[in-house]
Amino acid sequence: MAPDRKPAFIREDAAYHSFCGLACVGWLYQKIKDSFFLILGTHTCAHFLQNTMGVMVFARPRFGIALIEETDLSRPQPELHALIEEIKADHHPSVIFLLSSCTPDVMKVEFQGLADSLSTPSLPVLFVPASGLEYTFSQSEDSVLQALLPFCPVAAPDDRRVVFLGSVNDAIADDFLAEAEQLGIPVAGFLPSTHFTELPAIGAGTIIAPLQPYLAKVAQLITNERGATLLSSLFPFGPDGTRAFWEDLAAQFGIMVDLSEREARSWAAIASHTERLRGKKIFFTADNLLELPLARFVQSAGAEVQECSSPYINRRFHARELAALDGVRVVEQPNYNRQLRDMHADPPDLVISTMGTTNPLLGAGIVAKWSTEFAFMPIHGWAGVPSLVGMFTRSIDRHAQLGKLDDPVWTAGLMPSIPLEQA
Amino acid sequence: MRLAYWMYQGTAHHGVGRIANSMRGVHAVFHAPQGDDYVTPIFTMLERTPAQPQMTTSVVSGKDLSRGTIQLPHTLREVEQRSQPDLIIVTASCSTILLQDHLEQVVEQAHLATEVLIYDANPYRMQEVLASEGLFTLLVERSATAQARTATPSVNIIGPSSLGFHNRVDLIALKHMLKTLGVQINVIAPWGATLADLRRLPAAWVNLAPYRELGLQATRYLEREFGMPALYDAPIGVQPTLAWLDHLLELLNTVGGEQGAPALRRPPLTAFSLDGESTPSSVPWFARTADMESFSRKTAFVFGDATHTVGVTKFVRDELGMQIVGVGTYLEHEADWVREQLAGYLPDELLVTEQFQEVATRIEQLRPDLVCGTQMERHSGRKFDIPAMVIAPPTHIENHLLGYYPMLGFAGADYLADQVYTTTKLGLEQHLIDMFGDAGLDYEDHHTAPTAPPEPAAPASEPAPQLNGDAPAVPAPPAPAPNGAPGWTADGEAMLRKVPFFVRGRVRQNTERYAIQQGYHEITAAVLREAKEMIGG
Ligand code: SF4
Repeated sequence: MAPDRKPAFIREDAAYHSFCGLACVGWLYQKIKDSFFLILGTHTCAHFLQNTMGVMVFARPRFGIALIEETDLSRPQPELHALIEEIKADHHPSVIFLLSSCTPDVMKVEFQGLADSLSTPSLPVLFVPASGLEYTFSQSEDSVLQALLPFCPVAAPDDRRVVFLGSVNDAIADDFLAEAEQLGIPVAGFLPSTHFTELPAIGAGTIIAPLQPYLAKVAQLITNERGATLLSSLFPFGPDGTRAFWEDLAAQFGIMVDLSEREARSWAAIASHTERLRGKKIFFTADNLLELPLARFVQSAGAEVQECSSPYINRRFHARELAALDGVRVVEQPNYNRQLRDMHADPPDLVISTMGTTNPLLGAGIVAKWSTEFAFMPIHGWAGVPSLVGMFTRSIDRHAQLGKLDDPVWTAGLMPSIPLEQA
Repeated sequence: MRLAYWMYQGTAHHGVGRIANSMRGVHAVFHAPQGDDYVTPIFTMLERTPAQPQMTTSVVSGKDLSRGTIQLPHTLREVEQRSQPDLIIVTASCSTILLQDHLEQVVEQAHLATEVLIYDANPYRMQEVLASEGLFTLLVERSATAQARTATPSVNIIGPSSLGFHNRVDLIALKHMLKTLGVQINVIAPWGATLADLRRLPAAWVNLAPYRELGLQATRYLEREFGMPALYDAPIGVQPTLAWLDHLLELLNTVGGEQGAPALRRPPLTAFSLDGESTPSSVPWFARTADMESFSRKTAFVFGDATHTVGVTKFVRDELGMQIVGVGTYLEHEADWVREQLAGYLPDELLVTEQFQEVATRIEQLRPDLVCGTQMERHSGRKFDIPAMVIAPPTHIENHLLGYYPMLGFAGADYLADQVYTTTKLGLEQHLIDMFGDAGLDYEDHHTAPTAPPEPAAPASEPAPQLNGDAPAVPAPPAPAPNGAPGWTADGEAMLRKVPFFVRGRVRQNTERYAIQQGYHEITAAVLREAKEMIGG
């Protein structure tokens, strides 16, 4: 099903704004309910987590930072036993994820050995590479799932069932279970599961169906280590993606279904939205790695994708999405300043941008929206379609309703560093 | 090695960012992994900046480390071209400082026309406060130039900054008082200042440095080098504001005497009110009203930075008549100063810690009627069901309000008193609600219930007032489904419970409407799924 020719995308110099891999803690500690996320890191990592992921609303989070202070810099291998005991006593987790960060990476801390030395049969401590030197935003969920794989029981080769790959909330998971049941697709479970103790069995007969587009490495690892089959399809976002996903998945089980009518119904249900999106110019600046399927959907919905940038693109894992975006300017590791120039030259109707750039874009009169919102909304599958399309139309409608900010007086004195000629 | 959850201060590079985002024409470049760019959104989100803050992360990746490449020269050239700043400040991060890159050489290789300052902020030795204070002091030392004093009485306001606690509105309060006195402002820094403005600092007659955390060292330097008199107090509360005004006039008149200028006098206090004819602050009268009788038995615990901890402790005791049961600060380097300032106010040892758990434990032990603290103490307060208000950084988006809520001056005193009053009062109401059995209600039902009648104006005095019979303070229980509406089956309900609580009420309503349209008699999980698909969550 993969296209014959390689779809083209451009790679730039990664001068974009986003978060490091520690970001995944923000949702995974909530998803895996019996886990604890321990980051071996510095004050910087702690400051990042508390400020940007909205995680400060929880008084007792199941994550913490083993804080590297100056005296720790000279020690070759950190001593974490006491901290593990503290975490055990306070949180009673079934599993502890030990996340790397930049400083111990530079110090060349041997993480695997460290995790192994802390691990016990009753409380595994699993190494998760997540440092900002290598990982962006949601990408490190991939590392967490790789760490979990050895704890998935090995399924018998004739156990032909699907395992859905990627963290989704319980409501979405239920939707996928129900849909699979309706189509006659047997389900082995989800990776990650809601509890460490309920990981799905994976074997040579397993079909791996990725729900999230940022899990290329673990998908590859599962096929290599367990001989499982990786579903190559669109990701289940939007009527088009969801239809392809289920049809292709069913086909893996020898079930031929035609969901064209279902897709048409789904489009019809959001017709008032797609009418508003038709011809609108949408620009993705690169942030949470959901960009490819989101751009593909919004293009199918009638919008014009001016640019789809993403931190990382994997030719194989994203093959179908890339093929669907043929003709669109797709950029890996973009340069934000170049993007800004392009936006000023040909103003988009909506920019899906990062937390650091959205308000400044709005200040420049460009309608923009936090991409992070997509990561925290139920936008998967048939049931997610209205939410998904609404994410795009709401911003456009809201700004149309409010009208343009026509006088710089409304931001006067709010930002001290603004150049005098702009103030 | 310790387990850390929340931090009271940001990192050194965040401190550098705060100076860059305060000044005009100063751009910070962080030689750091891309993820350390997270400090930019703190500004764009909390301060809702309408333009991009003047800071750029020059990305260091694992690939760069293994190949020995460095992006910094390229980034510097790009920043020069794009922003044309007067000065670029380069600083390393917690990880890159270990690489021992010779940043001076690297910067030289970039061949910039723009001046570059490599600020050696060791993140293992300094955090946000010391880094921003250190950098700002350095900039003042490099820039301030001896020059003639202004002809008319003038001051510099030194210290207000981006992400400083209520600093933007503190400035409005200070400007209003200075205008009332007829004193001109020479320079405000770092807020809105250029390097050229820093050069002009010595032209002012007097320096105002209200914040212990930023501007203190620079002001001391100006006093030392240029003999500039300085007022180091923070006018928090009515009496301190009066003393501050008198002290300011004294300093100005001393300088004025040397210049042969006529002496300035304090105008009538009504001149400091918004309309020029009312009391400048209602606090003195308010504190003496019958309403506030109960406050004399109320206890307060105060925790924060140095400036606000000292100011607020004195205010709630001296001007509101409350009892202080504990005080603390997370600024270890300011602990002695806080102790000295609060001699006679401290009921026991000053709590000095950077670990929020210790502060939480103290709050739990003391069980005060009011906690004045940071965002973290607000969480602890919620956890222990103790009313809490935020009086110091770190803050949350909820502390970045639009209205005029200064901490300084007469208006600041009014705001603080209002905060104390509404915070503790709400605490009382919360107990009432719990007592009358509302605690079992789910949050979302709370919100989807028919609009509750307005709450009675609860008298603030203890004991608990009787409830007015026809205006219950507790929201009504959730409305039963309207007549003819389909009921929910167990699996439908179960599925609904999995919808996040903050949208659950809406999903319930939409689904019921959908079920009626479709003629379903009951709502099963399948119907809910169908409804979600057709009409959305
Ligand atoms: S980029 Fe590195 S140092 Fe910064 S928060 Fe992420 S892991 Fe920590």
